[in-house]
Amino acid sequence: MSKALLNSNIKDDFAIFEKKILNKDLIYFDTAASAQKPKIVINEINDFYNNHYSNVSRGVHTLSVESTFKYEDSRKKVKDFINAKSDNEIIFTKSATESINLVAQTFCERYMKQGDEVILSIMEHHSNLVPWYFLREKYGVVLKFAMIDEEGKIDLDHFSSLINDKTKIASITHLSNVFGTTTNKEIVKICREKEIFIMLDGCQAAAHNKIDVQDLDCDFYVFSGHKTYGPSGIGVLYGKENILNDLPPYQGGGGMISEVTLDSVSFADLPAKYEAGTPPLVEAYGLGIAIDYMNSIGIENIMLHEQELSNYALKKMKELEFVEIYGNGNEKSSIISFNLNHIHAHEVASFLDVEGIALRAGHHCCQPLMRHLKVNATSRISFGVYNDIKEIEVFIEALNKCKDFFKK
Amino acid sequence: MNDLLKDLYQEIILDHGQDPRNFGECENHNKSAKGHNPLCGDKVYVTLLVDQDDVIKDIKFSGEGCAISIASASLMTEKLKNKSLDEANKIFNDFTNLVKGSTDELRLLTEEDSLYALKGVEAFPMRVKCATMAWHTYKSATNE
Ligand SMILES: Cc1ncc(COP(=O)(O)O)c(C=O)c1O
Repeated sequence: MSKALLNSNIKDDFAIFEKKILNKDLIYFDTAASAQKPKIVINEINDFYNNHYSNVSRGVHTLSVESTFKYEDSRKKVKDFINAKSDNEIIFTKSATESINLVAQTFCERYMKQGDEVILSIMEHHSNLVPWYFLREKYGVVLKFAMIDEEGKIDLDHFSSLINDKTKIASITHLSNVFGTTTNKEIVKICREKEIFIMLDGCQAAAHNKIDVQDLDCDFYVFSGHKTYGPSGIGVLYGKENILNDLPPYQGGGGMISEVTLDSVSFADLPAKYEAGTPPLVEAYGLGIAIDYMNSIGIENIMLHEQELSNYALKKMKELEFVEIYGNGNEKSSIISFNLNHIHAHEVASFLDVEGIALRAGHHCCQPLMRHLKVNATSRISFGVYNDIKEIEVFIEALNKCKDFFKK
Repeated sequence: MNDLLKDLYQEIILDHGQDPRNFGECENHNKSAKGHNPLCGDKVYVTLLVDQDDVIKDIKFSGEGCAISIASASLMTEKLKNKSLDEANKIFNDFTNLVKGSTDELRLLTEEDSLYALKGVEAFPMRVKCATMAWHTYKSATNE
């Protein structure tokens, strides 16, 4: 077997694989929706609650110090994980969705007026559409949508042609959750030249690629902890420090203030300015442990492993004449969307579920993209560190069985 | 073949899924509603002709969806045609109980009914919405 693949006993790091689905081994092909959690993440979260838990940044007693230290240590891990310049550029939120809402609202408040424009793309996740729709409705901001090419990549020429004097910001997926294609970092250069801001939605990219926000040079980068083997309820917003300093606060509450009187309030410095209320501190800690776990395998190795699995799955699926694959390129960074001729994605998902295979069927929170592809729904497989070639063989076999079962 | 799948995809379901009955729009319909399943984007449009005595003289549907949702819509139109709204609502309740695996006693549906074939859905909780989409759309058409 290829050297690029990780050792298959990686499954032992995850308790979930001891579970049987209707007496079958679990084959988890839905990491793009959410990754499974390594035992070490779960155990460390337990240990935090059992031995170190208190609120953060609020007390002087031992437990408060321990909690605060663990929380802030996690921020450093995230900073190194995406190579940010400073801890002040890492804001913990509850999810990528919240991070995007935070940027959309504060950015609009500070820099935009009626008639100003935002560039998105037709393949964005609803999370990177609807927060901007709110601005369209409330403030008359104009939204423009970049087209994609046959491979499912952003058409950079079209993107570039949308920018004019009124354009203030673009917000684009870094790695498509439908096609598995990566957006060329050239896009940031275009934004630099035309002097607009850019946010990259790194929800899918962060689990699969080495992220370097300084090299990318984007203004904002967001991702969710649950897709990078961390717990649910924790998200990350990276923003360049000077920009975050310039933007207004998002939510008000404890922890984000400098001083409050009955008539006035002044705000805390970064990153506390954007972390109103008790943060998801244990979740943040869990994300730090998940990052340690990914680093222990090596991000480069994870990328190669998933690339190898994707290449193999793509080759095998292309041999099946009844399978249609969306995005006609060969770059499928761990995500492949497809349909079986004349069989609805739901049937495929239920059929494969009974074989122990977990995959996603539906619109993947990309209804505008589904409309563009002229489908209601697709099936999607996506890979993580714990998948292997044998599982792909089982999957291909199951697709064949599924086709036979539903044939007219 | 796994038994759960055999129960889910009985012959009659596959048949109605691939070759739905009463597909289209009733001429002169006086009630209609659109429904969709936000989880997957499937859509249905139900039209009815209900007379002065509250009897469903005609009922048809159109839309896009999986075999379960299409078969359920097709079987629904066959079952509800020429029923009074009162009976139809009882059947609605029976059917939703059936696919959710509720232990409530069925009032009008029996094991002989072709709709009973959809009982297999109860083993697939995420598919209950597929099976009930057309039914909820019927309900909102008649409640307007
Ligand atoms: C590309 C992309 N953007 C945004 C999101 C939203 O992430 P979350 O639901 O964790 O906030 C997802 C996850 O489904 C995604 O794949």
